[in-house]
Amino acid sequence: MRKIRALIIEDEAPARELIKFMLKDHPDIEIAGECGDGFCGAREIKEKHPDLVFLDIQMPKLTGFELLEVIDEKPEVIFTTAFDQYAIRAFELNAVDYLLKPFSKERFDDALTKAKSRIGKEREEPDRIEKLVTTASEAEGYLTRIVFRKGAGIKIIPLNNVSYLAAEDDYVMIYYSEGKALKPKTMKYYEEHLPPSLFIRVHRSYMVNVEHISRLEPYSKDNYVAVLKSGEKIPVSRSGYKMLRERLSF
Amino acid sequence: MKHPLLDSSKKIFAWGLAWLVLAACQSLLIYYVYGSDLDAAIYDGAISMILYGLLGLAVWFPVRYILRDGSQVYPTVFNVVLTGSVSIVAWLFITRFLVKVFVAEKIDYVIFWHSSLVFRITAGILIYLVIILIYYLFISASQLAAKAARQAQLEAQVRNGELMMLRSQINPHFLFNSLNSISSLTVTDPLKAREMIVKLSDFMRYSLSSRNDQPVTLSNELQSLRLYLQIEKIRFGDRLSIEEDITPEALKTLMPGMLLQPLYENAIKHGVYESTGEVVIRTTAGVEAGLVVMSIVNNVDTEAVVTRKGAGIGLKNVSSRLELFFGDKANLTVNSTDDSFTVILRFPFRTN
Repeated sequence: MRKIRALIIEDEAPARELIKFMLKDHPDIEIAGECGDGFCGAREIKEKHPDLVFLDIQMPKLTGFELLEVIDEKPEVIFTTAFDQYAIRAFELNAVDYLLKPFSKERFDDALTKAKSRIGKEREEPDRIEKLVTTASEAEGYLTRIVFRKGAGIKIIPLNNVSYLAAEDDYVMIYYSEGKALKPKTMKYYEEHLPPSLFIRVHRSYMVNVEHISRLEPYSKDNYVAVLKSGEKIPVSRSGYKMLRERLSF
Repeated sequence: MKHPLLDSSKKIFAWGLAWLVLAACQSLLIYYVYGSDLDAAIYDGAISMILYGLLGLAVWFPVRYILRDGSQVYPTVFNVVLTGSVSIVAWLFITRFLVKVFVAEKIDYVIFWHSSLVFRITAGILIYLVIILIYYLFISASQLAAKAARQAQLEAQVRNGELMMLRSQINPHFLFNSLNSISSLTVTDPLKAREMIVKLSDFMRYSLSSRNDQPVTLSNELQSLRLYLQIEKIRFGDRLSIEEDITPEALKTLMPGMLLQPLYENAIKHGVYESTGEVVIRTTAGVEAGLVVMSIVNNVDTEAVVTRKGAGIGLKNVSSRLELFFGDKANLTVNSTDDSFTVILRFPFRTN
């Protein structure tokens, strides 16, 4: 029987040691690698295609949640975290395994049993991880940066550098200071997850960073365009204009 | 509320003196203006004013109730006028009666009494108004004092509450992550696990016992926070190093306990959490012209896209505690560059 290949992504060495120690009782699992940060984790998942990932949430460079956003592979994930109750509830609702630090050997074995029963089977719910990421970031509050893949690397864009978002069919194109990136998300998702103090949905298909607006110009009767500092023009609907007025108080 | 004029012998004396003067004035007035004989004038003046003086003291009791709840204008005015009318009428009758007894029935006195009645009523009303004014001032002053005392008490309560709130709250994640490290060390290095448990316990004990009204020396504070940093060092290994440069004099200064904890927590959260390389947390302290100048510096990963979420709360907390403890003589400044984060504290050098 083929061994289950597991990757440990965890920034604290003692925590990695503990997982390795607990895995000794599971000869059917082999450790495919170890990572101390999210970038390494994303790279290793891509190269080694592990079946199972032990994933910490709070890590340098890329958090566990962000890592899941940038990988195509969808390994089984066991979160290892000291996260508080909101997140725990989110995990429980999504029926994904999680280990709350510090965890017992029994709890660890339970999680592994659950994971093993899933590995090699068709996913009943393909968007399970997607859902998890959504609820977990809800517990964390608004997004503070946007992460996506660029070529072989990963790009992290702080929200200040994002000038606007535009709907493109089922995707959202994100325009930032050095380029643009397509994310498999909806405008509704970003409307809910970007801080409303910074981003306003000025049009059915556009959200704009208010800090990047240079001026508003009338376009036709009842319609306006927002001229960005970069010179780009974004259509503004009537209700969008009302929201901008309130937000910018003019 | 006690009678405001009878609570000290000084006030009683002043009250008596005032009436003596009034009595003299009235006697002279009666003698010169109304031309009664001196005898009668002196008796009249003395009797009227001694009576009014006593009546004035007695008026306090109804007036106290009328003025204390003076929220409605018309009932208050009505009550004051009613009390005044009754008092003045009573005063006139008793005076008339007593003067009659002492001065006997002199024909011209009866005529004089009638001719001076308007003057007496006017004087009575004026004196009554002055008395009311005096009482009103006393009541306002005491209400003001009570209000100020209540205000001070409330402020003290708020301050206390604030201090309780500001008392450094250790991030629960720190505790859980530390326990996880211990769990790991029990397997790989039991001796170190025991050591870490002791350190964690000592640090928790210090944190729980720290109170704003019981200052600690910088030496104590650093001793306990070194435990905190050592615990974090076990978690993060080579990613965290600690440097110190503190003058022996500065170690003696007094400060609120756990003041520095949020600063170290920030340094770890924004330095170590976000960096894969080594982060140095460097603490310096010295005394300059009666001021302790402390700095806590950490380098930050230049490539980290810092979210800085929750930053500022810890700094604000430290700044508020400094202000509550030292007043406006203390301050906190922050200097953030691409590759480092510096917090500088200045506060008065104090020892026991």
